[in-house]
Amino acid sequence: MILRTLARYSGGRPWVAELITLVVLLLCPVVLPLFGVTADIASRILIWGLFGLGFDILFGYTGLLSFGQAAFFGTGGFVSAFLLTQTGLQNDVFLGLVIGTVAAMAAGVVVGFFTLRRSGIYFAMITLAFAEMFHFLELSPLSQWTGGENGLTGVPMPIVGLESWHIQISSGWSLYGYIAAFFFVGYVVAHRIVLSPFGQVLTALRDNTPRALATGHSVRKYKLAAFVIAAGYGGLAGGLLGVLQSYMPPDAVAFHTSGQLVMQSIIGGAGTLFGPLVGAALWLGLQNYLQDVPAIASAWMLILGVVFVVLITLFRQGILGAVKQLFTKSASPSEPHESELTVELTRRQHIAGVPDEHPNQDEIPDHYLRADTPAKTRGLIIVPKGESADGAALACRNLTKHYGGIYANEGIDMSIPEGQLRGIIGPNGAGKSTFFKMLAGEVVPTEGHVFLHGADITGLGVTAVSQLGMSKSYQINELFSKLTVAQNLAIPVLARLRGEFRPDMLRSLDKVAGLHGQIEATLELVNLEQRADVPVTELAYGEKRRLEIGLALANAPNVLLLDEPLAGMSPRERADTVQLLKQIRAGRTLVVVEHDMDAMFELAEYISVLQEGRLLAEGTPEEIKNDQRVQDAYLGGMEEV
Amino acid sequence: MSMPSLPLFLSQLFNGLATGLLLSLISAGLTIIYGTLGVLNLAHGALFMVGAYAGFLALQWTGSFVLAIIGGMIGALVVGLLMERVIVRYYYQRPPEDQILVTFGIGIVITELVRLVFGGIAKPVPVPSWGQGITKLGSLIYPTYRIEMMAIIAVALLGLYVLLYRTRIGMIVRAGIEDSLMVNMLGINVYRVFLLVFGVGAMTAGFAGILNAPILAVTPDMGESFLVMSFVVIVIGGVGSFPGAIVGGIIAGEIISLTSMFSSAYSHVMLFAIMAVLLAVRPQGLFGIEGRE
Amino acid sequence: MTDDNDQKKQKGGMHRRDFLKLGAGVAGGLVFSGGLGRLAQAADYAPIGNYPAGIKGSSVFMGIAVPRTGPYSAQGEDEIKGYLLAIDHINKGSSLAKAYAPTLRKGVLGKKIEYGIADNQTKPNVAVQAISKFISDNKAMMITGSVSSAVAIAAGKLCDRERTIYLPAITGSNATTGKDCQRYSFRACHFAYTSAKALAPVIKNAIGPGKKVAYLTPDYTYGHSVYNSMKEFTEAQGWSTVNNQLPPLGTSDFSTYLLNIANSGADVLVNICFGRDAVISTKQAKQFGLLDKMTLVMPYMAPFFADEVGSELLQGVYGTTEFWWTLAEKNPMAKEFVADFEKANGRKPGWSAHIAFLQTMLWARAVEDAHTFHPPTVVGQYEKGNTIATDIGDVHWRAGDHQLVRPVYVIRGKKPSDMRNKADYYDIVEAVPGKDVMPPLTQFGCKLGPVS
Repeated sequence: MILRTLARYSGGRPWVAELITLVVLLLCPVVLPLFGVTADIASRILIWGLFGLGFDILFGYTGLLSFGQAAFFGTGGFVSAFLLTQTGLQNDVFLGLVIGTVAAMAAGVVVGFFTLRRSGIYFAMITLAFAEMFHFLELSPLSQWTGGENGLTGVPMPIVGLESWHIQISSGWSLYGYIAAFFFVGYVVAHRIVLSPFGQVLTALRDNTPRALATGHSVRKYKLAAFVIAAGYGGLAGGLLGVLQSYMPPDAVAFHTSGQLVMQSIIGGAGTLFGPLVGAALWLGLQNYLQDVPAIASAWMLILGVVFVVLITLFRQGILGAVKQLFTKSASPSEPHESELTVELTRRQHIAGVPDEHPNQDEIPDHYLRADTPAKTRGLIIVPKGESADGAALACRNLTKHYGGIYANEGIDMSIPEGQLRGIIGPNGAGKSTFFKMLAGEVVPTEGHVFLHGADITGLGVTAVSQLGMSKSYQINELFSKLTVAQNLAIPVLARLRGEFRPDMLRSLDKVAGLHGQIEATLELVNLEQRADVPVTELAYGEKRRLEIGLALANAPNVLLLDEPLAGMSPRERADTVQLLKQIRAGRTLVVVEHDMDAMFELAEYISVLQEGRLLAEGTPEEIKNDQRVQDAYLGGMEEV
Repeated sequence: MSMPSLPLFLSQLFNGLATGLLLSLISAGLTIIYGTLGVLNLAHGALFMVGAYAGFLALQWTGSFVLAIIGGMIGALVVGLLMERVIVRYYYQRPPEDQILVTFGIGIVITELVRLVFGGIAKPVPVPSWGQGITKLGSLIYPTYRIEMMAIIAVALLGLYVLLYRTRIGMIVRAGIEDSLMVNMLGINVYRVFLLVFGVGAMTAGFAGILNAPILAVTPDMGESFLVMSFVVIVIGGVGSFPGAIVGGIIAGEIISLTSMFSSAYSHVMLFAIMAVLLAVRPQGLFGIEGRE
Repeated sequence: MTDDNDQKKQKGGMHRRDFLKLGAGVAGGLVFSGGLGRLAQAADYAPIGNYPAGIKGSSVFMGIAVPRTGPYSAQGEDEIKGYLLAIDHINKGSSLAKAYAPTLRKGVLGKKIEYGIADNQTKPNVAVQAISKFISDNKAMMITGSVSSAVAIAAGKLCDRERTIYLPAITGSNATTGKDCQRYSFRACHFAYTSAKALAPVIKNAIGPGKKVAYLTPDYTYGHSVYNSMKEFTEAQGWSTVNNQLPPLGTSDFSTYLLNIANSGADVLVNICFGRDAVISTKQAKQFGLLDKMTLVMPYMAPFFADEVGSELLQGVYGTTEFWWTLAEKNPMAKEFVADFEKANGRKPGWSAHIAFLQTMLWARAVEDAHTFHPPTVVGQYEKGNTIATDIGDVHWRAGDHQLVRPVYVIRGKKPSDMRNKADYYDIVEAVPGKDVMPPLTQFGCKLGPVS
């Protein structure tokens, strides 16, 4: 079943799409001339399509909008062209292209190092600035090698074959064939990347970067890898442009090249791999056609600009995206329907402790009520790497955090033994969430240390902590909203099975040993087996909460932090979740922050109370109930509970 | 190249200040819009250009440069407001990449429209009569108009500062930069604030455009190079920070001027290189706040 | 038998032999007038490039690729007007067209010229794309148009590969007929070397000996070309080079460069910038007071520079140009060209329009003289280097580098009070003959490729 889910997301049998692509590419020389399309135009479209394959992986799948891809197009193109025209490499066009691609990827590593330190709009701006730098370098200081604003001419035509038998490629359809071969291979590789575990992580990264990070993936390394891949595709496309025209133009590195790539990809549809190709076909087609109509000849750029704006506004998913939407029955991955305002308000209500309304009160599915699943497996639990002297699974010493003059937490010492279910309570403003964040590694303490099985994990960050075996489930759902339930659970499992970074780009998801087993086990644990293929956007609120816990569980943690797991739930749901928590205790240490006192006293073996940033009291539930200081702290709230 | 002389050094230092102030003004508009609305307005360069053309038209009709400046501001304001009302305001709920993309597209549309209407030949905007001639500052010979421009820009920046830091509406805008949702929940129509901010940002760009028109040629592409430079300024100064835009702009202007004394070809690249170093060492910029995107 | 024939002849009837003679006469006449040229050509030449496919019908296609957008769009649009005027004259078989190509009737070798215009956006890549399309889709027999040397060189290489004649319009770099020369390209305009060589003695006489020169050189090969040539000739006559500033192409604020020049102690400012850069830098030079203490020299003046900068700034400025409309006062062909252009377009032609016109006429002449469109033969005709009468006097092509040997006009900006009408910006100070300014063939490393 999971196989089916993952397979459906990945588009069925991958080789089907690849075969169709091959057939279409082979048919083009026969069909296109009937429509007046020349080999030259077809080749250009393919080159932009190849350029766009890499860009789509970067932008469509990983969500990084770069306005600087021309830098790599140019680097690859000029390195290839230089080698093929000025050195003795004339006859080996293929080798020249390969070296150019590698050079572009090296440039990608350097530029990525600087630009990926920021994200979002900042990232877009900085890539633009870097591309301008490359442009300037190409035009001026390096002009002896790049030909300056003249470019490099005389790039030879390739010869395909071996010593004894070879074909000299010439301009026209034979050159198209050469380029189409590269495009096909490029497409197959890109397709495999997107379907691989690596590709899944990229998608998760785009969907919810902080959660991907917390799940144990090194987001920085994945982003850099995607960036370098896009650079490589750009470099290869640039080299091929030089071959196509026998000339490497300087404006390959200009800003408008980057801009054109972005526009084409959006128009065609990001996240579809073929979007940039479709966009290029439209762009080049319009450019050619409009130029022939004298009345609007000089206005073709204006028309393209208007088309672009209209498309982004009305058909954000682009041409192919719109087509895909027509053909898929289930809701396509689109923007969440709630306005940002409402979502944000909901989040803040939770922080304020105000329970929100259950959105689907009337529609609780039947299977939800089944809370007595005999857990056949409890899923993997990773064996702790070390052991602390006093048997504490999680401990902290003098944990302090202040912001300026304000102390969120001060001098907290706590020790949680292996296998315990510890509760943490405290009135509003007690500093529970900050404390919890420090334990989880999200926030770096100003003073003090955190120890996981005796190892100091202070300042390591959530990814490393997750890899070491501690996970957290969040108060506000941090799910991968564009994926299904099973796909969500795959993400932490992939981090567990593959470590924080693995460039297994050509591997099939099915080949990841243990993936299905762990996902199955986790689904059972949180009672979501029947909902495995459902997109997150269609889940009921309670199901989402269970998935939230499931995400933390799927990581196979031995220490599990739960931040208000019962938040926003109805009484029935609360009871079920409490049962769930009891079930997942076995073999794990749990730390729970909660407001719901009944649940807390039922669940916890031992409770710590925080007040005004400090540890107020610790003890068994009985001891805490009767502790005067705790009662005072809650201002008599104990009587009513 | 030999060591530059003291007079040359001083004149380049002064010139860098002039260039820098212009960059500060342009970047201030961009950073306010980005800080408050979260929208990186890639059409900012086009608005700069629209100001220059609107001012050119006003100058043709009235013959007064002062009216031309006002005309330029109004022209850019109108286009900016149109932009916001018709398209950009539907994008506030959309991811930031979409906002960049649509402003990028709008920038192209505006530029091409202007090219279609006015053609590609540069439009002449002469230096106004009160700006003609040369002023001697010690050993430095400097065009009078540029000195006046520096003063005008300084006043404009001061005016922006007063608007942002000394008025109620400015406080709302600064609060909006911090947390626009909160401002909305406090009962203030945050969308009207957005409109105001967008208008002010556009007007600033247009003002810079017409002010700068006598110095360069007024063509449809004139805004493009300023756009990239203002990005660099914002990155150096810190996104969303008004003081950052000012300081960043002046630093950028000085880097360009002083580098040109040694190697005129590398003056712009040096700016990019310093931006790269700053990114590695202090990614949030000089005045930016860590963690703010 | 013979008695019968003689009898028939005496009666005035037609005999087989006479008929054959008549037929031969008709056929010969047609061949000479070019009407059956196609038949003759098909018999003589193997296919190459777009020949004979491009001349199958009654027309021949000319591909025009110029910048219609971007910083050189004004010059590009002017070139288009020049081309259209030339095509109109040729297709009509006007007296002006016949003055250039005496054997011309209507069209070239009887074929009407059809044309296509593409916007090359001053980008070599876009130009190459547009030209590829003209060649493959429209079967163009001739491609023309350029403002930037980078574009001209790229286009030249492509057309050479495709065995199609390419005629650049504006291209100032020495490399176009130097290391980047092409067997299928022919340049008719003046360029860095010829301008510098023509200009240097004139400014030495006008400004004086032993002067110090500062340069504003746009940082790309055209700029470096002109700088090297100017430096060569000014230093040879005793001037010294004290400063060279290198603003990147497209700079909008030249203040840092101008300040460096202001502090260099130069007497002469040589501004090599072209197009919009020239306009901005000159205006700013005025604002920085440079023009009050230095003489401005523009070795390669762009068309419309005067219109965009204004006569105030232009007075006393020395430069070179390819053509100026006051030549109409000296040369009847020029007079007709200027008058016709003004009638069609409402203003005087810039040299961008003129060079476009000239190149088209010279091509028509070459094809007419070659009696064929066959590319290698046309190339050979150019290379014969015959003297041709034009509106700038007698010119001829140099076979070694495909450069037209033609005059370079040194001009000086007039005082506003001396202007007879609002277009009367310049005095033509000297028309320097082409043979006096051509570079030695070996100087710029031209190696023409094979013709097929």
